[in-house]
Amino acid sequence: MKKCDKCNIEIETKQLYCPLCHQVLTGETDPSFIEVYPEYVSLTRKILPTVKKTLLLLSILAIVIVALINTLAFNGVYWSLIPIGSTLYFWLLLRVGVLSRRNMAFRIAFLTVLLIALLVLIDYRTVPENNGWSFDYLMPLLLFSCNLAIFFIILVRRLNYRDYFFYLLIVIVFSLIPLILVAFDVLTILWPSLVAFGLALFILLFLIVFFPKTIKEELQKRFHA
Amino acid sequence: MIDTTKYKSWFRLDNSAKIFPEVSTERDTNTFRVQIALTEVVEPEILQLAAIGILERYPMFRVRLKHGVFWNFLDRNTKDFKIQEMGHEVNARMDTKDNNNFLFRILYRNNLIAIEMFHSLGDGGGVIMFLQSLIYEYLKLKGYPVTPDNIIKTKEGRPLEEEYEDANEKYYNKKNRKHVPEKKAYRIKGTMIPNNNTGMVSGILSTKAVLELSRSVGLTMTQYFSALMMYVIYNTQIRYRGHLKTNQAPVKIFVPVNLRKHFPSETLRNFSNFVKTELVMTDDDITLEELFVLVKEQFEKGMTKEELIRKMSENVAFEKNFFLKFMPYYIKKVALKIGYNMLGMKLNTMSLTNIGKIVFPESMEPYIKDVSAVVCAGSYNTVNCAILSYKDQLKITISRSILETNIEKEFFRHFTDLGLSVTIESNYVEEFV
Ligand SMILES: [Zn+2]
Repeated sequence: MKKCDKCNIEIETKQLYCPLCHQVLTGETDPSFIEVYPEYVSLTRKILPTVKKTLLLLSILAIVIVALINTLAFNGVYWSLIPIGSTLYFWLLLRVGVLSRRNMAFRIAFLTVLLIALLVLIDYRTVPENNGWSFDYLMPLLLFSCNLAIFFIILVRRLNYRDYFFYLLIVIVFSLIPLILVAFDVLTILWPSLVAFGLALFILLFLIVFFPKTIKEELQKRFHA
Repeated sequence: MIDTTKYKSWFRLDNSAKIFPEVSTERDTNTFRVQIALTEVVEPEILQLAAIGILERYPMFRVRLKHGVFWNFLDRNTKDFKIQEMGHEVNARMDTKDNNNFLFRILYRNNLIAIEMFHSLGDGGGVIMFLQSLIYEYLKLKGYPVTPDNIIKTKEGRPLEEEYEDANEKYYNKKNRKHVPEKKAYRIKGTMIPNNNTGMVSGILSTKAVLELSRSVGLTMTQYFSALMMYVIYNTQIRYRGHLKTNQAPVKIFVPVNLRKHFPSETLRNFSNFVKTELVMTDDDITLEELFVLVKEQFEKGMTKEELIRKMSENVAFEKNFFLKFMPYYIKKVALKIGYNMLGMKLNTMSLTNIGKIVFPESMEPYIKDVSAVVCAGSYNTVNCAILSYKDQLKITISRSILETNIEKEFFRHFTDLGLSVTIESNYVEEFV
């Protein structure tokens, strides 16, 4: 035991000073004594941040340069939005799709929506007389794949399938959008939207028949007030 | 493997738990620790088995936090729980990524076993029961002849529905929910410890000696400590500087009250309220004896059943407010955060928790050296205090987010000056560079 003569307290430690008044302690502590609490270990920075920062710098530089060229030599088209959009997509793909440890269904749903946005952007920034394919084909078909992917995750990962349920319900609701757009004559080609909606409807019925309790519970917990 | 259909799969956050996820930061983590020192070195493999085993008895801790459209909720967590080696951090933010989304962690080091828990999951009362069960399971797996003696909830038992209940709601009284506006409290100033680290100084005293001391002036132990803390804050921070504007705010000691002792409830979730002692301390000649009288009076006023129900109902009424209730989650989050940062967190100078006496079955006592509790120290409540006793050891742990230790020094010197012996433990946060 060591002692602080000023505070009149006893302490077992290999440190030399009193934690209360910072005066030197007297007495000895057994050399085999292990400190009650651990020492400070500075959280070692991994190499990753340096790589990440370099990539980030390059991305920002590229965006600025492309935007500058586009504005200085403006030819009537904002073509720079395509490389800028792709760069942002790359970052979000890395951040949300690869590095994030979030729910897989969330990542799939998020990246699908983002990819649709990017493709729509590319579509409307390229050959003007030929656009509309992103809305007509890609949006419904991507929603179709997304639905299918999350549905399979739920079937395969039985143990924690409930974690993916809510995202699947959201994507199912999203799958209605192309069909609504067809109804309002925004989209001209019917079959991809119909396929996407058909799958969504099938999955929804499947869930209602086989997991009625989970659906009810999922809605209850997400909407309780 | 746990049968996911056997127990309730999700829980609403209880009334007091709702605010914590929205306002917690790296500094104000709203995490607290209870810790046991065994008489022997901990074996991590066995502790891991004990943890997995006992989680079956406590399904309400096997959860993760999720967002709903209006409120957060606790949802069953199907991931594996893993114990961790104790690092230098004390009550660090519950990093849910590193912790498989669990809202508590079990730490070990040498002969220590600690549970750190996020406040949304429960309060000190619930976590002590959980820790006792964990230690029991651990000792049993080690092959020691321990018996539960109706004190410990063992893994063979089954959870009661009452353990999940939000008891605040049960005792809520619409007619007694008057809102009493409050003023900002005095803030203890100091140099913030870098990197959000927490300083921790514990003093071990004799329970009997301190009990006698407080009884000699007609107070309970908690009342004695509150008065002493006010006096120490006054002496180290305010005395002779009462003319300064910042020193004119009242010193307020926030003392949590375990409502399980006042209203019957088996809940493991948050069921505590508080009593506050407060005084504007600008006079130059306040004595400890005056504070004894003041604290006794304020405790008695604040602890009547009626007043406790009023405070409980005030909180519940806030949550039941129609606009807040149906405000979409992300807007609610911002609103709560702003309200909390502007006023909510500034209502107390210090929180002083007395968890009370921890009792173990006699068969477990030979393996347990001491028990302690640590509350988090934040950006406004820079110094906080947690007290508990086990056998004749009274352990007072003062945690701080500032480097200065004047309060600790004066607090413990009060006892040594009276001739009581004090043994100190510290995590020497001064060395954290
Ligand atoms: Zn000293």
